[in-house]
Amino acid sequence: MFKYCLLPLVSVFTFINHGLLAQKVNEFPKKTDPLYKKVEMFDRLMLGNHWNEGAIMQHVIFPPAGLEQPIVGSQADCLDPTSEMLAAYSHKYAITGDPKDRKIANDIFEAILKLEKVTGVEGLVARSFNRTNEPLWHEEVFWYHEWHQSSSMPGYRWLGDLSADKFTSIFYGVGTFWELCADAEYKDKAAGLLDRFIGRVVDNNFKLTDLDGKMTLWGNFCPNLPHQELNSLEMLAALKVTHHITGKERYNAAYHMLIDRYHYDDHQINSKILFPKEWRNVGDDYHAARSLYMIIRLEDDPNLLNKYRMNLNRHWYDWKDIEFTWESNIWFLMVYKVLTGEDIFTEEKKQGIKDMWGFERNTKEFKIPQKDGSFKMVRSEEERTAAAMIRNYWFGRYYGIIDEKW
Amino acid sequence: MKSCLTLLTFLVHILFVVGQEKPTPPEGMVFVPAGEFIMGSVYGDPDEGPQQIASTKAFFIDKYEVSNTEFAKFDPTFKFPPEKKNNAAIVTWSKADAYAKWAGKRLPTEKEWEKAARGIDGRVFPWGDTYDNTYVVWDQKETRGTSIAKPASPYGCYDMAGSVWEWTSDWYKPYPGNTVPMEQYGETYKVMRGGSNFNNHSFIRTSQRYYVLPEKIHVYPVGIRCVKDID
Repeated sequence: MFKYCLLPLVSVFTFINHGLLAQKVNEFPKKTDPLYKKVEMFDRLMLGNHWNEGAIMQHVIFPPAGLEQPIVGSQADCLDPTSEMLAAYSHKYAITGDPKDRKIANDIFEAILKLEKVTGVEGLVARSFNRTNEPLWHEEVFWYHEWHQSSSMPGYRWLGDLSADKFTSIFYGVGTFWELCADAEYKDKAAGLLDRFIGRVVDNNFKLTDLDGKMTLWGNFCPNLPHQELNSLEMLAALKVTHHITGKERYNAAYHMLIDRYHYDDHQINSKILFPKEWRNVGDDYHAARSLYMIIRLEDDPNLLNKYRMNLNRHWYDWKDIEFTWESNIWFLMVYKVLTGEDIFTEEKKQGIKDMWGFERNTKEFKIPQKDGSFKMVRSEEERTAAAMIRNYWFGRYYGIIDEKW
Repeated sequence: MKSCLTLLTFLVHILFVVGQEKPTPPEGMVFVPAGEFIMGSVYGDPDEGPQQIASTKAFFIDKYEVSNTEFAKFDPTFKFPPEKKNNAAIVTWSKADAYAKWAGKRLPTEKEWEKAARGIDGRVFPWGDTYDNTYVVWDQKETRGTSIAKPASPYGCYDMAGSVWEWTSDWYKPYPGNTVPMEQYGETYKVMRGGSNFNNHSFIRTSQRYYVLPEKIHVYPVGIRCVKDID
């Protein structure tokens, strides 16, 4: 007997997707397919198999270990693929003008609103949610363990302890949506969300706090507490975007207070740790790249721009020789080109873009906890995310880096 | 307020320490004298307040966190990669407690831990008030005591900021006078201290408290630093 909710095995599983009953998508592209075809097929896989009421799952475990609904998988980082798909569809809509693309972006944005609503606290955004009345087995198995039963949305559970990198996902994704895709109604909704979300952080002295009032494990942007240089950059970028979108002076005032009184503009320059070499963290570069992409395009003070460029230059020291081992590496270089105008894409690097890939579907045994404290091994298929690849593609198309015939 | 508290505790401490005999610590331990110190903070999480004058008896405390090799002497089934023999061991609370008893020691109380980490003057970090990456070992991946600058705490302990979190014997409960409603207060969670720079820098402050289920540490790297009573 399973301790947690686990439905019977079904040969064809179905779930609600965009209000339609959809089947599991099983078609994968070939490695030799042109880039546009690979993106199209991975896009179908993501929207078909990873769609959790508009939020995008980073990891999906199919039945029998997983469920038809809610989707089961690691969920701590779901805001990353969610914001990537929101940005992807925003860039895509800016190119196609197709209302269907805008509708998908709107639906993804609505899921971010739901991530706030499910917590029951204005401005407190969850990492992820699932429609279920009882704990699911993966909550106990996968990082990490801050699941709550929602009181504001009965029948939902949500994952708390938001981090600085998910904070970055929110202002990057919502900011891009506001800029390129949202109509007047959705621009208002996007501005409202950022106002509540960033406003709550500002009101808590630049800390991400959870329901219990404690600062989250990675939620420290506070001028009175020691924090990473990268967090100073992320907070300045968030305030810049929120001021731009809401027009509220309080965010401009907070931005300049952190600069004038606490020197965040100088602190952020060292976001990239270069030495000792083993301390370099390419994962953190992703958050820096998203922050620099947003803030440099919005800042017009030449002194501040110079400091943000110094930060970008420190990243470039590492990026210039980087291998295209994962999709975010490719995006770093695209961002660098967009921000500097430098022509950095050699034929080799262009080929790296053309070779972008999403994920393989694997089969794995999952150790599922049972009521009696034992575990049962269940073999199931699983998928990771292709959201970064899809975002890269539409970002590259939007900025003329990727040819539509590739 | 802080400077008054500092002056007061400093004077009391001087009078007290002058009258104390300093015993020789066992190998691998340092001596922490009896007396008062500033505990908690006015700037950190709600559970760190109110800042208070607390006191401890004299005790010995391990200079370093317990290593994998040391823990394996207690539990021969404990496995670790050969290259990590001198890294801090990561274990559950009950294993940490059992190790401490086996070694003729015990886990520190929160008070003892905090005093050993910050001395009497209410400092933010074991070495002072300014953070520097070179003062801490990078995550739990590096050998104990190998930070670039190697600063010690006022009593000579290493890695009380960063490296791995460290178990205390205390349940996660409010300090006297703390009225903040925390659903986690009680006898469900144990307090871990010292942070890991896997998390944000603020978590390696000497007054930072964090709660964790004693037998479900999951990805929290929590290790051991023992204390020993002075007869």
